Amino acid sequence: METVLVAAAGLIFALVANALSPRGLRLNRDYFPQADKPTTVASGMTNTVSSSSPSDNADATSERLARQGLQQVKSLQVVAWFRDARYEQGAVVFVDARNEVHYAAGHIPGAWQFDHYHAERYLPTVLPICLKAEQVVVYCTGGDCEDSEFAAIILRDSGIPREKLFVYVGGITEWTTNGLPVETGERRSGQLIPRP
Amino acid sequence: MTPPPPFSACWRSADTLAVLARWLIGGLFLYMGLSKALQPVDFLKLVREYDVIHASALLNLVAATLPWFEIFCGLLLLLGVAVRGAAAMAVVMLVPFTVLVWLRTMEMSQASGLSLCELKFDCGCGGGEVWICRKLVENVMLTLLSAWLITSRNRRFCVRPRLL
Repeated sequence: METVLVAAAGLIFALVANALSPRGLRLNRDYFPQADKPTTVASGMTNTVSSSSPSDNADATSERLARQGLQQVKSLQVVAWFRDARYEQGAVVFVDARNEVHYAAGHIPGAWQFDHYHAERYLPTVLPICLKAEQVVVYCTGGDCEDSEFAAIILRDSGIPREKLFVYVGGITEWTTNGLPVETGERRSGQLIPRP
Repeated sequence: MTPPPPFSACWRSADTLAVLARWLIGGLFLYMGLSKALQPVDFLKLVREYDVIHASALLNLVAATLPWFEIFCGLLLLLGVAVRGAAAMAVVMLVPFTVLVWLRTMEMSQASGLSLCELKFDCGCGGGEVWICRKLVENVMLTLLSAWLITSRNRRFCVRPRLL
């Protein structure tokens, strides 16, 4: 009987705490829209392993994006858009789908933050900007990160035409590896990570 | 002066052990629960990786409430309130979680060819990436300690050891 009481009281406490917490999850929201089976990544003593191979992941990602009507964009095109004069004019928009901590640690210069897990906070700012743009490039960490896809789906469902939306699958990891500029802190902070 | 009965020393040791066990398990649950409650989205992603719950509402419910439930049970144990009930809840949480971590580890081990003790990942316990071998042993020890607490009659440093 005591166990049942503890369980009941604990559940009530948990529900109330989650509801009151500013970081609480919304129980009725689908945070992984149209998602496939997640990939598990682990570290071994000598290397990082995944429940699927890199080529399987790449194929699976392309298939998944195609099924959802999203376009994938490769590094060369992303860099071309970044260097295009239209980027400064707002015709090309980069959207960073990661949380505040990761965004502040380093993002593509001028990218807008859109943490889709808290979409209601970011949509009012990001949506009008994306609606005016000709290309919207959404990225996250890269590799197994699916946040860019979920963010793109939310943007698509919020009214951004599919033809404008692109998912940069390589993400900030590929961007950084290619020696491209990375901005820290807030958007347009001007603080760039010095290149070695 | 007659010496105290031999079993009273044992009783005092068991009493002290029960208090320490309560504080250890309670402290761990409080710490682990807080670290997850402060980053619920990260925990949600980790729960999803186990690929056990597919319905989004249920996934959200587990990810949203489990950390706070751990905090609740941790506080009960630290304060010595409803000790048996809180310890029972600790066992109820530890057993399935340990089984799930074990199953996931076996899957990773088969996929990678690495042995159990060569694998390290974030199992969702709240401690970040951990060596799974060690984590499984820790969980088994915590489960046994919690199960022992259920039977313990210790009342020292308890606000209200029994509710009823």
